[in-house]
Amino acid sequence: MDVLLPPLSEGADSGTVVSIMVSEGDRIEKDQTILELENEKAIAPIPSTAAGVITKIHVSEGQTISEGSKLISVDEGGEAGDSKKETKKETAKEAPKAPPKQAPSSQQAPAAAPAPSKTAYEGQTIYDPYLDYRYDSKSGFPPPASPTIRKVAKLIGLDLARVPGSGNGGRITLEDIRNYFQHILELAESSRRQPAQEGSGESAPARKPAESIDFSQWGEVKPEKMSSTRKTIARRLQDSWNTVPHVYQFDEADISALMEMRSNYKAAYTKKEASLTLTALAIKAAANVLTQYPVFNSSLDEAKDEIVYKKYVHIGVAVDTENGLVVPVIRDADKKSVLDIALDLQALAEKARARKLTGDDMKGSSFTISNLGGIGGTHFTPIVNPPNTAILGMGRGVVKPHWTGKKFEPRTFLPLCVSYDHRVIDGADGARFIKAMVEAFEQFPESEIKLTQARKK
Amino acid sequence: MKAIETDIVVVGAGPGGYAAAFYAADKGKKVIMVEKDKRLGGVCLNRGCIPSKAYLHAAKLIEEAKESSFRGVTFGQPKIDLEKMRAWKESILDKLAGGIESISKNRKVDVMYGRGYFEDSKTLRVETKEGQKFVKFSQAIIAVGSVPALPSAFDLGNPRIMTSDQALEVEDIPEDLLIVGGGYIGMEMGTVYKTLGSKIVVVEALDTILKGADPDLIRYVKNHADKVFKEVRLNTKVLKMSTSGKKIKVSMQVGDADPIEEKYDRVLVSVGRAPNSQDLGLENTQAEMDRKGFIQVNNRLQTKDPNIYAIGDVVGGAMLAHKASREARIAVDVICGDPNAFENVIVPAVVFTDPELAWCGLTEGEAKSKGITVEVSKFPWSASGRALSFDRPDGMTKLIVEPDTDRILGLGIVGVGAGDLISEGAFAIEMGATVRDIAETIHPHPTLSETIMEAAENFYGVATHTIGKKRDH
Ligand SMILES: Cc1cc2nc3c(=O)[nH]c(=O)nc-3n(C[C@H](O)[C@H](O)[C@H](O)COP(=O)(O)OP(=O)(O)OC[C@H]3O[C@@H](n4cnc5c(N)ncnc54)[C@H](O)[C@@H]3O)c2cc1C
Repeated sequence: MDVLLPPLSEGADSGTVVSIMVSEGDRIEKDQTILELENEKAIAPIPSTAAGVITKIHVSEGQTISEGSKLISVDEGGEAGDSKKETKKETAKEAPKAPPKQAPSSQQAPAAAPAPSKTAYEGQTIYDPYLDYRYDSKSGFPPPASPTIRKVAKLIGLDLARVPGSGNGGRITLEDIRNYFQHILELAESSRRQPAQEGSGESAPARKPAESIDFSQWGEVKPEKMSSTRKTIARRLQDSWNTVPHVYQFDEADISALMEMRSNYKAAYTKKEASLTLTALAIKAAANVLTQYPVFNSSLDEAKDEIVYKKYVHIGVAVDTENGLVVPVIRDADKKSVLDIALDLQALAEKARARKLTGDDMKGSSFTISNLGGIGGTHFTPIVNPPNTAILGMGRGVVKPHWTGKKFEPRTFLPLCVSYDHRVIDGADGARFIKAMVEAFEQFPESEIKLTQARKK
Repeated sequence: MKAIETDIVVVGAGPGGYAAAFYAADKGKKVIMVEKDKRLGGVCLNRGCIPSKAYLHAAKLIEEAKESSFRGVTFGQPKIDLEKMRAWKESILDKLAGGIESISKNRKVDVMYGRGYFEDSKTLRVETKEGQKFVKFSQAIIAVGSVPALPSAFDLGNPRIMTSDQALEVEDIPEDLLIVGGGYIGMEMGTVYKTLGSKIVVVEALDTILKGADPDLIRYVKNHADKVFKEVRLNTKVLKMSTSGKKIKVSMQVGDADPIEEKYDRVLVSVGRAPNSQDLGLENTQAEMDRKGFIQVNNRLQTKDPNIYAIGDVVGGAMLAHKASREARIAVDVICGDPNAFENVIVPAVVFTDPELAWCGLTEGEAKSKGITVEVSKFPWSASGRALSFDRPDGMTKLIVEPDTDRILGLGIVGVGAGDLISEGAFAIEMGATVRDIAETIHPHPTLSETIMEAAENFYGVATHTIGKKRDH
């Protein structure tokens, strides 16, 4: 049995093998880690889906692999070779020193999928029945096609070895050539809508090669390779910037009352090993507002010309780590208590900093919050995190004199900005939404903070 | 002297040259075709395919008349008038060459008789009867063909030692004829001379005659030759020849045995053909040759000289007329900027012996040597009603098939008329056809073409007239 790379996190369809934890001949258990993969936003351990003896390891360290790539072959009945088992640990330790093999993932995947069938996870094509197809001539003969068809191919410069034949004995017909081009056209169109990721194989249209500038002509420099996380961030933000027409709506919320409640309940939360952060409170506030303004909790499906409203509220939270930005997701924030949210948030943030987030941890958000207040700064304009339609940016709360109508009072104001996709959301809704957000902060019900019920385990 | 300007000059008017000239003219090019011989048509028409087949036809008549007695039809001893026979042959060649000449006129191809010589990559000097002429061309297509190879050891200047050129003139009927080389030319000429009355000994250095075809098919030709020739000697090398009065003394070695000496009235040396690339001025162009003198071309028939193309025997490969004609079209297409390249899957080959042997595509032997797994399906002609109707069950039709896909990779046929049957296989292979495609095509009864269908049905174990293994279908 072959173990394939499972789906990774949203938007990530490939990753780099950092270290391989097993050797050929080893006995592997189900869920035992095969390798560590540096993907989109984390280094993730990839567990085995099969138990048995590893007959072959199909990947090497440094290699970029994608969902569906064959990782190892496992003989489910086999017996492990003893000698190899002993060297296992050493191999794993020494492994990172091995020179990385640069093998494009597209060359790995097709071999794993002999049948021309399409397997897609969340719209990402892993095995492409056309792109990954090459006529395998056992006899040394060219692909079976009539002279007329070969002439057509010649005229248009098509290599018939790329065209799967549907006729008797795999003979290529004119219809097959038509289907081939139809497929290529569709791919070209869809990849223009969603520029492909580096390393994702031939489906990626060649981006215009960027020209390298020699900065050293003006002084000393130190070039550093972009990590795969960085590259993913760059690509995704570029996509968002290119495709989403952004509107930024600003306001400030008076969070004096909220901050007071926060300091009142802080200790109680600490007892529960949770920290009552402003982010946790903001998640709860946003979840409530999102249920009133579902368009901010929707996604645009361009392929179907549909706006997809979600009945769930999963809030992605931008977390700053050493290795860059990651966005783990708090699920069903509308149904969770502030305590549950705080606990979840804490767990995810820890995982993020330890680079242990799994793909699932980062998938399926319906709205995003980015709180930079802990660091500083006032208003900023966050970029929508597709396929979300909106994101809330929080700056640092500032104490300002506030005119009550009678006198000036010191109040704490939180700078807010909601950025949204103007294709889906109109300006009036944007204003309504931020107004509701401000109210949600200002009139945060104490009942929501109170520790009435314990977290269900 | 003022040069004559043209788009394309074709050097040589054989099946490569005239096909190229006509096609280029059809495509609107101004074409000059240069031929040093006095008659158009090249080797094929003058000293190859056509005269040899004319004689073979006469030979067949004689054979059939002889064999008819047991059917109750008896003819007298044939009287052979060689002069008349040659005249008949010449009349065929004249007719065909005249045809080429008049087609040239129709298509406005200028025929220039004389030897061509490249002065440079743009100029061909032609030595005509009226003196030298210079042709300035945009492109040249070299189709100068080949000549019989005569190893210098055999080249005694004695007319009794012949190549196919002389043998086809049939000056007399030698009583004892030695044929050196058991290739198709040797075997065909042997068939002719045997019927005219010669005693034939064929010697072949290899362990088989007609190398290239599958042994199980060759066997039928060999069996027949063993019967009608005096001898077919394999693994035999001719060491020396010398003139001995009116005879040729030949010393040869069979295997590792001590050399033997024999005397023959005539010897036909048919040990291969050499390209006509010498004395062509190629060194004044960028075109290159390999060690054997074959002009090097890519699959677009382009030489290393951007103005010069080469086709036919002079580029090597299968030295056959139909290959030359196919290359002609490709070269012209490429010159005219139409995408084309020699990408035919196969070139069929026919040996006009008795029985005929024809094959196309992959042979079983080739598959074996290249490590290609194939399946083979055979149909023996002893089960063919048509073959039996003219008393020639000595034949076999054989399909070479790609496992899993059932794609036809090769067809081999031995038997009377095999040459006229092989094209179905060539067509099937070029079409990428499968065995089922042939099995399900209705073939008329009673014909020899049915043997191809039955071999296909046999592949699935369902042939009507034989019992084969059953298989899934
Ligand atoms: C006995 C025999 C039997 C054959 N039987 C068959 C057969 O059954 N089937 C088959 O397919 N093939 C057969 N062949 C092979 C076939 O004849 C050749 O493959 C074919 O003729 C090659 O065609 P070509 O155009 O390349 O050259 P050729 O036919 O050789 O023509 C070349 C022409 O160029 C001319 N020429 C040469 N040099 C110059 C020059 N410098 N200037 C001007 N003109 C020049 C020559 O005079 C000649 O006319 C046979 C050959 C022989 C000898």
